[in-house]
Amino acid sequence: MGVFDGLNVLELGSGAAGPVATRYLAEQGARVVRVESAKRPDFLRVLFMTKDSKHGLDGSPMYVLLNPAKESVSLNMAVPEGIGLAKRLVGWADVVCENFSPGVMAKWGLDWEGVKALRPDAILVSGCLFGQTGPQRKYPGFGGQGSAIAGFNHLTGWPDREAHGPYGTITDSLSPRYVAVALVAALLERRRTGRGRHIDLSQIESAVYSLSEMIVRQSANEEVEGRRGNRNERAAPHAVYPCRGDDRWIAIAVEDDAAWPALRGALGDPEWARDPRFDRAEGRLAAEAEIDERIAAFTREHDGLELAERLQAAGVPAGPVQTFGDLLEDPQLAHRGHFVRLRHAHLGELEFERSGLRLSESPGGFAQPGPNLGEHNDEVLGDVLGLSREEIADLAAREVVA
Amino acid sequence: MLDGLRVLDFSDESGFLAGKVLGDLGADVVKVEPPGGDRRGRRAPYLHGEVDPERSLAWLALNTSKRGITLAPASRTGHDLARRLAERADVVLDTTVPGMAGEGPSVDALCEANPRLVACSITPFGRTGPRAHWRAGDLVAVAMGGNLHATGDPDRPPVRCSMPTAFYHAAPEAALGILMALYQREDTGRGQRVDVSLQETQLQSLLSAPGQFALHGRAMTRSGARLGRTREIWAARDGQVSFGLRGGPARVANLVATVEWMAERGQAPDWLRAYDWQSFSHLSVSDEEIARLEEAFGAFFATQTMRELYDEALARRILLAPCNDARELLAHPQLRSREFFVTLDYPELGASIEHPDFFARTADRAISVRRRAPRIGEHNAEIYGELGLGPDDLVKLGAEGAI
Repeated sequence: MGVFDGLNVLELGSGAAGPVATRYLAEQGARVVRVESAKRPDFLRVLFMTKDSKHGLDGSPMYVLLNPAKESVSLNMAVPEGIGLAKRLVGWADVVCENFSPGVMAKWGLDWEGVKALRPDAILVSGCLFGQTGPQRKYPGFGGQGSAIAGFNHLTGWPDREAHGPYGTITDSLSPRYVAVALVAALLERRRTGRGRHIDLSQIESAVYSLSEMIVRQSANEEVEGRRGNRNERAAPHAVYPCRGDDRWIAIAVEDDAAWPALRGALGDPEWARDPRFDRAEGRLAAEAEIDERIAAFTREHDGLELAERLQAAGVPAGPVQTFGDLLEDPQLAHRGHFVRLRHAHLGELEFERSGLRLSESPGGFAQPGPNLGEHNDEVLGDVLGLSREEIADLAAREVVA
Repeated sequence: MLDGLRVLDFSDESGFLAGKVLGDLGADVVKVEPPGGDRRGRRAPYLHGEVDPERSLAWLALNTSKRGITLAPASRTGHDLARRLAERADVVLDTTVPGMAGEGPSVDALCEANPRLVACSITPFGRTGPRAHWRAGDLVAVAMGGNLHATGDPDRPPVRCSMPTAFYHAAPEAALGILMALYQREDTGRGQRVDVSLQETQLQSLLSAPGQFALHGRAMTRSGARLGRTREIWAARDGQVSFGLRGGPARVANLVATVEWMAERGQAPDWLRAYDWQSFSHLSVSDEEIARLEEAFGAFFATQTMRELYDEALARRILLAPCNDARELLAHPQLRSREFFVTLDYPELGASIEHPDFFARTADRAISVRRRAPRIGEHNAEIYGELGLGPDDLVKLGAEGAI
């Protein structure tokens, strides 16, 4: 049983931020229907496409992996009949999620007023980069720009080097959670009041909201946060150290004074570490470079995972810096069933990913890979909207369904 | 939006933001601290540098929209009080690492006291499994979650964001799990456990990269200020900007517009003005060609300020973005126009501080900061009063060390 069994979600938009948000709902049983078109395909469908790509719009691993258990209906929104069909689907939907630039939905008559007229208790979430209002609302960026604007690039890297941002595009991984939170809060509210809502989420704002501490520090103390490498202003040692092997590393974080003797013991209680200056964080911070060098000399001789196991057994927060390959073999992630192996018609066996939350009474999961474009035209246009096979074939022939 | 829901928030810093999200949505969130205050959570830096737990800026930033009480859940009296509070609550949030019992509340006992309770745990690796008892703060969570290895310069160790992104991913995901469980409670009448792993929530920052790796076997290497072969971060006169020197249909117009702009400023060499962007591919072009292009673009960007570059990027629809710091965000015209920041007054601290006010906007401002973060035990009288305890009882409980 899924939390959202019976809930109908209509998704319009493209990229990662929107689809990752609705994936949470699909994982818990919601029926998520994506409106797409070959006329203007989701850019994830073409992101890595080359002339030699087989399977065209249906062969993009990133698209397929980020959209499991969803249905795809292909509607040409450049023609009135396509828009008309989308409007009928809005009437069917409990929730409408979109992440277009502001104005696109309005052009189709699907802004909040339009959606509300079709479905008075609808919940509409608009989740573009900068929000629906304001002078820069139509700024045309992707997640890479969002990450820079929201402050994450400036915060990531070495103090003597350029900014570069955490791997990936962090606004694309932070904002979907907030889209889903706002949406489920609105669903809960609707159960009480019967009313729908429009939620205007800016991917950049939800990322800056996450950085509330940085904003408050600036506002209160006029202290501009910068890049500190892996150092922690309050704790030491707190770094990433080399291990045996090529590009292998271990993260060790002595976050309080109790962890220091534990680390010292696990290192074999060397003479240098018995310096009483190091018993307190202030002393360790003052000698951080020296301590890091000593620890690195030790870790270099060890396997990262084995050493982490030893340090954890001693009570020291430590862990190997895992590669993508390590993640696929991580026993803890396996225990949680993080990766779900499903067969895709073109790409073969793929590793889909669960969210990071588990509900004790509602395990949830995925049984289908991301859809081919228009794969569910018959189910959606036929079963949901009641069109006959002939009508659907006619719409396809006239490129309304396309 | 969550009016009428009561949350007991036993979390440490890894979960502060989760409780805040629920509070900013209108839930009645009661932050529970040990007697004397949360020493770890009320950490440095402090307002104006004065060391005082009431002036911890991280605490003030991440515990808005909560009331606060003190309670020692591990003491017998404290445990009994926690049970009585849980009977009246909808949600319990805690962050105790499995096997570290004795530090946090006994969530099992609280759930027993109230079968409608939704109990969410944010832990480094989840509540069960071979590494459930492992410890991790932000650094170890991003290391084991796969993001760290791919972040940084190729000639240095992997590097993290200086603010705790593992917590930033896990907290809203915990709030989401809680809301899902509350939604299901409407059907079943029963609560349930929500089990959130810091490590696992980190994996989504990879946006399916592990699955792509499983398919292609192509390892990801750290590339610093570059993305793949081409430069992504460029020096401006006063800072850095992000600009992708990459081809493809979605980017051609932006490259053409950038060269036009450079030409208007007399900073585009002839060969660049005649460049064929339609057939440009950053994947197939030679290293020499990339170097030549980067030199031309880099020379131009370096003559402009971040602000000048961004203003023109907005006007010309160019995919260029400044690497903002907090100062620039606080002054950001787009955020200002949306009234994204709210000023909270701290009269007893002699300060007014700006905070982000919402993670999403609604016409009626249903998501917003409701109140400043609580002082130590600020709402003991109110909350314990609900249990029928009066001032004398509180004094007695204080003397016992229970609150």
